[in-house]
Amino acid sequence: MADPQVKQIGKYKVEVIRDKCIGAASCVAIAPKVFDLDEDQIAIILSQDGNDDETKLLAAQSCPTMAIIVTNIESGEQVWPVK
Amino acid sequence: MNPPKPYRAKLEDKIRLNERFVQYKFELVEPNELAFSAGQYASIKVSDLGERRSYSICSSPAIKHGFELLVDLQPAGVGCMFLENLTFGQEIELLAPLGVFTIVPDKAETAIALVATGSGIAPFRSMLFEHLQVAQDTRPITLYWGMRHANLLFWEDEFEELAQSFPNFSFHPVISQAETAWPLCRGRVTDCLSTHEQPSGIGYYLCGSTSMITDVSKVLLKNGVTEQHIHHEKFY
Repeated sequence: MADPQVKQIGKYKVEVIRDKCIGAASCVAIAPKVFDLDEDQIAIILSQDGNDDETKLLAAQSCPTMAIIVTNIESGEQVWPVK
Repeated sequence: MNPPKPYRAKLEDKIRLNERFVQYKFELVEPNELAFSAGQYASIKVSDLGERRSYSICSSPAIKHGFELLVDLQPAGVGCMFLENLTFGQEIELLAPLGVFTIVPDKAETAIALVATGSGIAPFRSMLFEHLQVAQDTRPITLYWGMRHANLLFWEDEFEELAQSFPNFSFHPVISQAETAWPLCRGRVTDCLSTHEQPSGIGYYLCGSTSMITDVSKVLLKNGVTEQHIHHEKFY
């Protein structure tokens, strides 16, 4: 049985739509090991595995312009934004 | 600073400050204590789909079992609609505390200037409570708050009271569409900054729209203020 204390990593893949990003940086605040801002103040991905999947999804949901897409790698389904 | 963690809180009070701005008071449910630094914000879940919106905490960090948010009802987006439709006692989910927009412990900043437009005033209210009342910061602290109309200065009385109680605090409201009788600063916050002497050693904290931050930063840089002493938080 999965250890409930161990948070899942690796099921979700995140990507940033640069044209939608306004540099609000809420994603950086929530998942700082996954997201950062580049010199243009646009979000970039540092690592897909820096934070657990739940935190990555929260970070995506916190984006005011829905500039972060979350995809379930196993099923290929887009998890966020909800279609 | 404390890392963000999830909280549940319930709506305790709603103060309609004027036709555009509302102040919400929340009581923490679980966990029932929130430790944050003045200037930080909370990410609130505002829809069943999971959408979240960020709001600066405008209450004092000394209040540990609750927090207050300031909301601009224009434009009426998903966050505004969610908060407006809350009933008293209804619970919300949030992540807090977030952000790094706090008054930095920089000995080179021998005075502080807080520059806000509109709802950008929210984190500064928290900072003023913390630094004047709790930390008893004796450095000169000046607040410049820009609004279109004088009747929208919802916290004017609070800031006037602070100025009466703390001789090192000065409050300069700036009205861009002022009536003829308005006796104080008019125009943009950049105009008011130009009117008042800006000695060296001031740490500037800017909060408001991207255009205000850009315009004020340009003026400050032109006047010799270095980038490390211009701190900002953009509101969207």
